[in-house]
Amino acid sequence: MGEAIDLATAEIELDLSWMGKQGEWGTKVSPSKHGLTLADIQVGDYGNPPEFSDNMTGRPRGAGARNDSYRIGGYSIRTRSEIWLENASFLYEEALQRQWSSATDVPWHTIEPLPDDIEEAQCQLATFLTEVEFVAGDVPARWISETTPDYFEPRNVLLAQVMDESRHMDVFRKRALANGGGLMQATGGTAGVVGSIDLARDFTEMSTRLHISGEGAVLTIFRMGELMAYNDAEKTIYRLCAQDEARHVAFGVMHMRYMSEEAPERREEIESYLDEAERQILAGSQNPAGNQTASSEALAVLLGGGKDKYDEGFNKLMAIRKRQLQEYMKRVRSAGFGERFENGRSRVQGMIEASAA
Amino acid sequence: MAEFPSVAWFEAVAGVFNSDESYRGAGGGQCHCQAGIKVGKRVFLLVFEGFECAEVREVDVSELEPVDFYLEMPLKDWKAMVQDIAANGAASLHYTLNTLDLNREAGLSHSVHGDQYREDLFFRYNQTFQFFFDASARIKTTFAR
Amino acid sequence: MAKAKASQAAADSKQGQPGAIEGIPQPKFDWAGRSNQWGTRVKPGKHGLRLGDLNVGIYGEIPEYWPDQTRNPRGAIARKGVPPVGYSIRDKAGLWADSAADLYEEAIQRRWAPATDVPWETIKPLNEGLERAICQVCTELCQYANGDIEAISSWQHQMSYGYHEVKQFLATASFDGARQYEAFRKRALCNGGGLGLEGPGKVNRMILESRGGWSEAVTYLFLLRGTFTMTMLRYLERAAYNDAERFLYRHTLQDKARHLTYGLEHLQYAIAHQEDMALIMQQLMFIGDRIFAREMRDNVLREALAVIFAGGIEKAGSEGMAVYREMMTDFMETYLGHCSWLGVKRNLEMMPQVLTQYVTRA
Repeated sequence: MGEAIDLATAEIELDLSWMGKQGEWGTKVSPSKHGLTLADIQVGDYGNPPEFSDNMTGRPRGAGARNDSYRIGGYSIRTRSEIWLENASFLYEEALQRQWSSATDVPWHTIEPLPDDIEEAQCQLATFLTEVEFVAGDVPARWISETTPDYFEPRNVLLAQVMDESRHMDVFRKRALANGGGLMQATGGTAGVVGSIDLARDFTEMSTRLHISGEGAVLTIFRMGELMAYNDAEKTIYRLCAQDEARHVAFGVMHMRYMSEEAPERREEIESYLDEAERQILAGSQNPAGNQTASSEALAVLLGGGKDKYDEGFNKLMAIRKRQLQEYMKRVRSAGFGERFENGRSRVQGMIEASAA
Repeated sequence: MAEFPSVAWFEAVAGVFNSDESYRGAGGGQCHCQAGIKVGKRVFLLVFEGFECAEVREVDVSELEPVDFYLEMPLKDWKAMVQDIAANGAASLHYTLNTLDLNREAGLSHSVHGDQYREDLFFRYNQTFQFFFDASARIKTTFAR
Repeated sequence: MAKAKASQAAADSKQGQPGAIEGIPQPKFDWAGRSNQWGTRVKPGKHGLRLGDLNVGIYGEIPEYWPDQTRNPRGAIARKGVPPVGYSIRDKAGLWADSAADLYEEAIQRRWAPATDVPWETIKPLNEGLERAICQVCTELCQYANGDIEAISSWQHQMSYGYHEVKQFLATASFDGARQYEAFRKRALCNGGGLGLEGPGKVNRMILESRGGWSEAVTYLFLLRGTFTMTMLRYLERAAYNDAERFLYRHTLQDKARHLTYGLEHLQYAIAHQEDMALIMQQLMFIGDRIFAREMRDNVLREALAVIFAGGIEKAGSEGMAVYREMMTDFMETYLGHCSWLGVKRNLEMMPQVLTQYVTRA
């Protein structure tokens, strides 16, 4: 088949003309005190992600281009403001540094048999969290292959997120099966409903729903999980998941901030996503601390210390809701959309007052 | 032996923390932030860079403005936490930083600037701070009156 | 707090009657007691509590077909009437490998961070020809990683949760891709050089255009490209000029070896459980080999490798090319060995001569 290049001879004359077609030359960076980080290699042209990317061949940013290279990407995200954030490199390095193993970093031996109602509530919550982490794994993955590699820094953060969510799925499954219980009934609250994270048609829309409202809420739940843990294993699980989740939330806040500054014409559109997200904050069954659901009842049992102390747990749950909403408001403010809380567009302040009443 | 709270105490803890590589894995790892520790009226500034607590100094309360977040409790509550850590080798269930933050009416973690993105560093680096205070189990502590 | 205490007192006084306090809704507790299998107690073993350890009782029953298109965790009670999310890969034969759970845990245990684990300080200035060649290879390795990332992440979300072990393993594989992308970019930019010329992209396009299913993507991504990348990394490790490069090549090789293990095991499973899959693979490889051969006709990567193997331009055409040929012979033997292990017949006469010229044994 076809002509072969004659490589059988001992001496081959090399062309080497490609050496003159390479990217910007003479780049020399040294590791800083914290190693050789992505931030360290943002030098010259290599550190300048274009405002609009015409790279359809998957070329690493700054590499020499070939005119005859195949187009491999039908990238829908080719405008920087659509996915960029100022600290993506930092968040990616942080994610790499702070990975953990659910097999060996959780002190599983500290789990002792618990009263039935507590174990059942823990398993119900673990079932829900396994399910909800599926969303956060599936959805970012879908956007990664849609993004030009010219914006590889945010893409790498999303890859780290998929990894984190995968670990969360597995650690809650482990918890459900580790102490004489089992998985319980799925909530189904994470599938195809109108306005859900899956249905986002735009990256910023997805990020608003997933990173800001969705994961912000789950971060609070993880923190509460640490509070209501019955052993060191649960403490560790929730604490480490909360760390990961806080990183994902940080991505959303910083992307929204960048988008708001670089593409102010999209502010109104983003306000609409926030409107929708806020409607779901308490009503949606994706939020385990939301209106009465299997997960919120399980939380109240855990927080109170048993079914017979449900009322005490419920009051603590109210405190969770309040805290969740306060943190949400502060994050949205930090992202540059605080005005909605002053001009009457957002109902979140009212929700806080209602949950405190 | 070091007295809590003092620069000497935080430096002694930092010495243990910085030299134990096991704190760099298991969800620990590099940490870049400035945290304040407020014990009654006294304020200490901890600077974390990479794997280390690189700097400890006592500052005026007005210097809390630039820190990402600060942890505040009265001396008796700090003392209870440090004693619990000393007794158990690490914080027991009721004395972890996150639990104290949620259980205490006034919370534990605060900021002057009110920027949640920066306050969230308390969560993003929570295991590192827990490791840091857990390292205090390995020094002998006395308490100020 | 005061409110909580009051509530506590009230609750204590009416044990077993939750929700009787004004303003607190009556709980339904209708979720309680609802489990397909209760009483599961998996204990951590010598290596911790691993994902595969959880496959006990019904939780370990992995069906041939998973009709559920929701995010119902395997073994949990499904809720009726939940709108489908739309997973397209619902046959076990389309993605499964028994080792996926173990490979997932292995990937986590063997994680590394290029920023801090690579001894970057051991990289010293090299002659320009050599540096240009290394930068060229690093650029192409970045592009291979880009192919891994885009191919895996475009399939991941189409896979059913009945086979969560595979989805989870693939999360580690795409994360490995991110690390490979980052690590080789760092190497290219740290020693007075820069990125090279982009690769031809023919194989990447073939991998991304595997519209026939995930098994087709696995064939091209892990079996064909993966075997080639691994062989190249082995030779690069041997030719490394400092400890940093040696570390980079060796650790990337480990990552790629995990991917190949999954790939081979999955293809073996697919062949065993899907009629005519071996024949389909024969056809896929017939096509894939030609596209791969077209990419290999390009001189850039070949020359860059020869320069690296020879320590510079001067002897690249002789000594460097000799090592290159040795590498290609190794690659072809390994690749054909994998095909043979899978039971996929290959006819050397039908393969491109660009590749068969390196086959020294019948």
